[in-house]
Amino acid sequence: MTTEAIKTHAIDISALNRGSKTTNDKFDPCITVQNLNLFYGSKQALHGVNMEMPRKKVTAYIGPSGCGKSTLLRCINRMNDLVDGVTIQGKLLLDGEDIYDKNVNVAALRRRVGMVFQKPNPFPKSIYENVAYGLRIQGVNDRRVLDEIVEKSLRGAALWDEAKDRLNDNALGLSGGQQQRLVIARAIAIEPEVILLDEPASALDPISTLKIEELIDELKEKYTIVIVTHNMQQAARVSDFTAFMYMGELIEFGETSELFTNPAKKQTEDYITGRYG
Amino acid sequence: MIKAWFKSGLPWIWMTAGAVSINLLLVLGLLMLIAVRGLGHFWPADVVEYHYKDRQGQSSVIIGEEVDESLLHKAQAISAGLEVLNGADYLQQYLIKTGNRDILGTDFRWIQDQYIQDKTTPEDLIAVERREWGNFYGRLLAVKQNGQVIAEGAKAWPVAQEQIEKNLQLFDEIDHLQKKEMGSINYNLERLRLKQRALELKNEWDDSKKQAFAKQKLAYEEEYKVIQAELLKLNIANKCCSIVVSEAGGREISIPLNRVIKLTRPNAMSALDKSIEYIKNVIAFISDDPREANTEGGIFPAIFGTVLMVMLMAVLVTPLGVIAAVYLREYAKQGFITRLIRIAVNNLAGVPSIVYGVFGLGFFVYILGGNIDRLFFPEAAPAPVFGTPGLLWASLTLALLTLPVVIVATEEGLSRIPKSIREGSLALGATKAETLWRTVLPMASPAIMTGLILAVARAAGEVAPLMLVGVVKLAPTLPLDGNFPYLHLDRKFMHLGFHIYDVGFQSPNVEAARPLVYATSLLLVVVIIGLNMFAITIRNNLREKYRALEN
Amino acid sequence: MDNMIIKQHISRQFNNEMEQIRNKVLAMGGLVEEQVELATKAFMSSDAESAEKVIEQDQLINALEKDIDHECTEIMAKRQPAAFDLRMLIATLKIITDLERIGDEATRIAKMAMRLEGGEFYQDKYFEIEHLLDMVKEMLNGALDSYARTDTEELVAITAQDSKVDREYGSITRQLITQMMEDPRNITRALDVLWTARALERIGDHACNVCEHVIYMVKGKDVRHLSHEELTRTVNETSKIGR
Repeated sequence: MTTEAIKTHAIDISALNRGSKTTNDKFDPCITVQNLNLFYGSKQALHGVNMEMPRKKVTAYIGPSGCGKSTLLRCINRMNDLVDGVTIQGKLLLDGEDIYDKNVNVAALRRRVGMVFQKPNPFPKSIYENVAYGLRIQGVNDRRVLDEIVEKSLRGAALWDEAKDRLNDNALGLSGGQQQRLVIARAIAIEPEVILLDEPASALDPISTLKIEELIDELKEKYTIVIVTHNMQQAARVSDFTAFMYMGELIEFGETSELFTNPAKKQTEDYITGRYG
Repeated sequence: MIKAWFKSGLPWIWMTAGAVSINLLLVLGLLMLIAVRGLGHFWPADVVEYHYKDRQGQSSVIIGEEVDESLLHKAQAISAGLEVLNGADYLQQYLIKTGNRDILGTDFRWIQDQYIQDKTTPEDLIAVERREWGNFYGRLLAVKQNGQVIAEGAKAWPVAQEQIEKNLQLFDEIDHLQKKEMGSINYNLERLRLKQRALELKNEWDDSKKQAFAKQKLAYEEEYKVIQAELLKLNIANKCCSIVVSEAGGREISIPLNRVIKLTRPNAMSALDKSIEYIKNVIAFISDDPREANTEGGIFPAIFGTVLMVMLMAVLVTPLGVIAAVYLREYAKQGFITRLIRIAVNNLAGVPSIVYGVFGLGFFVYILGGNIDRLFFPEAAPAPVFGTPGLLWASLTLALLTLPVVIVATEEGLSRIPKSIREGSLALGATKAETLWRTVLPMASPAIMTGLILAVARAAGEVAPLMLVGVVKLAPTLPLDGNFPYLHLDRKFMHLGFHIYDVGFQSPNVEAARPLVYATSLLLVVVIIGLNMFAITIRNNLREKYRALEN
Repeated sequence: MDNMIIKQHISRQFNNEMEQIRNKVLAMGGLVEEQVELATKAFMSSDAESAEKVIEQDQLINALEKDIDHECTEIMAKRQPAAFDLRMLIATLKIITDLERIGDEATRIAKMAMRLEGGEFYQDKYFEIEHLLDMVKEMLNGALDSYARTDTEELVAITAQDSKVDREYGSITRQLITQMMEDPRNITRALDVLWTARALERIGDHACNVCEHVIYMVKGKDVRHLSHEELTRTVNETSKIGR
């Protein structure tokens, strides 16, 4: 895009003068976390987290291991429900609805909030069946509909060209990076609003990592994305907003460009520059 | 030097390798012993003619197969009341299968080498396999039809073979008519009777039904008569021929050909002929029904019963075990109670199998079966239907016996499914049940199959409990036949393991039965290996398919 | 934000690298200061020997610039610095460019001094240049000092001094024009003086740029092309945020 713009001299001068490009956009929160506390048994893992994650933007959580970033991510699709002895206080609103309300159907919520895990976890089925899994769960069995969605999803996950000739092969035969993109295709096949990525590239080689990052950039056109990563440079590269968490608390949340060049909190600065915390 | 050798770790390698070798040797030795003893039985042995002069100086001719020999020490022989000639240190004895039980009273006899004057294998000696009284050894003199000699001397042999062929065909026809056609009619008549009884019990027996039933019964009886007539005809045709043979002592005997299964001249056979005969014998052993209190003939019903029972057991134990394991692992809250249940399940595997037999007899047969009879088959009383040992109860008892294995293996398999797979499915909006059904269970299927393999291996070899809950020495019919409902779960059945016990220890003719014990054992091992291989193949295919994310 | 900030990385290697860059920048700054002083003094005293030394030493400054440039690039490639580290490297890259320019200006002054050698000696005429030199030196010194201490306290004052330098330069120009009009024979010499004053004024501008880079480095705010009032406000604003 940029090179194209320079060629045609179509640089928007006013945008340059405005400085940061995101500040003038209207902030449209998709997920709102209100005073969220989470306990594993008696151990508190999240301490009064408050934040608003904007729609169709990439929000990254960074922080040292055990800081609660994955826990917070897993709150968004209620994956923490699976853990014994978890209690959650506070609110987590998705489009203004509290997802921890008693009447919420968890399976339906998880259809709205897709998730991709650290290690690629394709099912031991064919590539096709992996992508169609979520649809089959919903009772879609019409071959034509499935074909269409499988192709669309695989294209959406930039895997179509590599996989179109081997749709019926076992998904476990794919490389790690391809598997992870397959898992993303599987997630977008059910058209969620939000995609949660839990360290999606930590098990991949650098080239596969770049492909995933590229994909995240494309996906944010349609989905709100929340990503947890240990790799700060990755957070800096792919996200629009970054939240820094430490010991279960949200230390700082802001635009990525700002947070990585000029963080407001010393703890953030120390973490992102690799100083003693 | 020695110390260095110990330090190098070599002794350890030698020790472990040695243990493996010993195991291997034991297994091979076991199989070899069974195979040699069992399979040798089917080889058409030479028929030997001995000119024998015994202690009293009486000369006689003995014809028979040499089946065993022994070497007795002089002192041993003398203390056994035998004399030892020529000052020899050892007494050589042979065990001869002389056959001709109807004439001699026994099939076998020991003879001493020292008394044998002459030992020949003339080609004209014949071995006749009969439907009763065991084998006959002697010489063929003539073939008779309706009392008239139709062939004599050298011509008798081909004619006899021809006639036997015909008779065997006739016998098959008769057998078919008796077992299939008449059996079917009898079965239907019995059902009719039971239906009538049921209607009577329900007070619904009226004239119209009476007429309908009588009509049906009449139709069956008509059919029966037709078959009976045909049978009569066939039987007459079957009985027309006989062979005249002479036994070792020179007496002439007439053997009706409908009592003969096979007529061979083993001494005249070439090695190739013998091989063909051998294969025929093996096939007959596997596919024929037993004769003469199981000591002769084949063991097909036992193989069939074993396989059917094991398969039924697998069908019963798999869902039960898998469901129990799924609940324990996936749904139950892990805690004291589940731990207690697991311990109980594991201990169940250690309970002696006969205890299961007692439980099966007491609970399944008497309580369950008795109540089923009372509720659903009141018309059959006082004859029990399910209230007596049978295939279903045997399968259920063995299912119970092998349940712990399946539960433990399935649980193990479920616990090995990576959490990420479950989470992946749940994150796509699947419920826990959908996740289990669509992803977790298929992935655990190799483990379930492993459990099943172990269960099958145990069940197929189990005899003790079966003796209480359904296995019999001789079952008149197979539990699977052409009469509705085809699979008769209430019937008793034969089992290879029990067959071995029966033939080996309950047989009136131990010497004759001994090779059969080995052959049957070999077959049991082969059947178990076959069932296991089948299950292992399925498991390996599944494993390949669900090669989990182990890397 | 104390002086130790660059020494707190978990990676000691990183600490050493940052420390080395800072030291080299300070060394380069010291050298540049010396060059400016030496060149101007040479000009004032028509000391060809000193002037020659200045021209020679400029090579050293150029070499240092390349060296620091290289080291900054290397750190960026190797360590993906963020926040203060990133800003420090960016600021350093810009600061050494300015320092190198200052070095160039010093060389220019030195060349002028060589040309003046053997001419008449006008002691009184260099009084204002000397004053200008003092002001510029003070700015440069303050800027480098702030860089060394990662401190913005003095910087507002230093940037304020830039306008004084401009005024001083203006008055020198007017004075020289008067002299040239009085006596056309003065023109050659007056032009030389004018060029020197001009060079010193440029050095002041560069020192001012260094100040702005240091403010960016410390406060994370881009204060270039702002009026002095805006600059003052920005610096004070950000310093209110407690770290």
